[in-house]
Amino acid sequence: MLELRIAGRSFGKPVLGEVFATIERGDRICLLGPSGIGKTTLLNAIAGLDKALPPGSIIRRDTLRVGYLFQEHRLLPWRTLHANLKLVGASDEQADSVLGQVGLAGYGHYLPDQLSLGMARRAALARCLAVKPDLLLLDEPFASLDPVMAGELKTLIAGIMDASASMAMICVTHDGRDAETLANRLWYLDGKPAQLQWDDAVGEPSLISDLLGKLRDVEGVDLV
Amino acid sequence: MSDFPGRPPAWSYWVVLPLFVLFWAAIAWLIKSPLLPTPLDVLDTLMQESASGALWHHLGVTLGRVVVAFALAMLLGTGIGIVMGRSQTTNALFDPLLVLLLNLPALVTIILMYVWFGLVEVAAVMAVVINKVPNVAVTVREGARSLDHRLEEMATVYEFTQWQRFREVWVPQLFPYLMAATRGGLALIWKIVLVVELLGRSSGVGFQLHMAFQVFDVATILAYSLAFIAVVQLIELAILQPLERRSSRWRQPEAAHA
Repeated sequence: MLELRIAGRSFGKPVLGEVFATIERGDRICLLGPSGIGKTTLLNAIAGLDKALPPGSIIRRDTLRVGYLFQEHRLLPWRTLHANLKLVGASDEQADSVLGQVGLAGYGHYLPDQLSLGMARRAALARCLAVKPDLLLLDEPFASLDPVMAGELKTLIAGIMDASASMAMICVTHDGRDAETLANRLWYLDGKPAQLQWDDAVGEPSLISDLLGKLRDVEGVDLV
Repeated sequence: MSDFPGRPPAWSYWVVLPLFVLFWAAIAWLIKSPLLPTPLDVLDTLMQESASGALWHHLGVTLGRVVVAFALAMLLGTGIGIVMGRSQTTNALFDPLLVLLLNLPALVTIILMYVWFGLVEVAAVMAVVINKVPNVAVTVREGARSLDHRLEEMATVYEFTQWQRFREVWVPQLFPYLMAATRGGLALIWKIVLVVELLGRSSGVGFQLHMAFQVFDVATILAYSLAFIAVVQLIELAILQPLERRSSRWRQPEAAHA
């Protein structure tokens, strides 16, 4: 459903090398790689946010609804959660329903900055769901959460993906354990400029662990 | 940043202002000159002007000019400011002109408008607008430059319409700058409108001040000034402050964290 060819990307110095990848419905991709390697850069390009990709770059996609969970909640701080959801096109009932889905039923009248970090992130996830996305982009969804909250959110996201066979997901993380729970495909970004490598294990969750092990051996990087 | 809040406690107004009036009364009583009428004389003049309807007529006319000039200046200045803050090219194109206009004395604009367009209402209002637009533009440009690019990206991903982007993303971020432009703007426009009226109009507070000046009628000058100050304060209390409170409510950490 999405075909991606990026002829490199630099911000002063080269960050991304040439990248080629495809994404199909049902893909659950974990995008791994060390901090600062360009994972968010790649995610922004896929989301269509990068207006300065070099010539020769192609992002071909069907008309997709994209839900993007940024590292910060990026809800409008002057609007309640309910109003934030309505702004992306949810009806009153849909807004209540997605808030319930992420465990925030009854919080519709709160302002984003009145919430804790974990709640705000779930509220932002509710906004992703409110657009009924074909493609869910998650940028470090578990960063700075305590292990319990991170675990809950992981279960929540896995449940959301299980419930929809047609949705695809790309989850940026630097923690290989996230991939073991969530992914059926692995993308790995490394090098200078960064190259994208991928491995498919669609429908074979056990293979993900093998692949992770292989990555650890071959690359000599600490994925955890 | 200073340690005490900008606004002094309310009692200071009820102590300092009456003391000032007493001081004024004492001096006036001592020198007994028509050039410094007592507070009571001024109050008397104010009543007469009010009873004859002259005060209301001229205040109304001035207020009308202020409102029209203010609205035009805010609209133009905000538009120019946003575009300049968002586009490097436009900024390069307009910035030199802005510097020129910012340093042009208000009086020069007023004289030029009257010379070129005659002593007409349009020239009067235009002179005020031209004086004010650069200030608004500079203030709003600062705001437009500080717009959060992360919210821009969010608005792009979630396919906000241009109107939603303006109304929901930009205006709340620009609000403090718009308020600053409004306050600075009103203060400036009030004063320029008076000069404009004094130089080339036959109505308005500025015109009345001009007439009183001709005959050294200080009581009338002070009476109109007082009425004028009252109106400005009324606008501050009845419009600006409630607006500011209402729009910054989301910043209040009322419920802290849920």
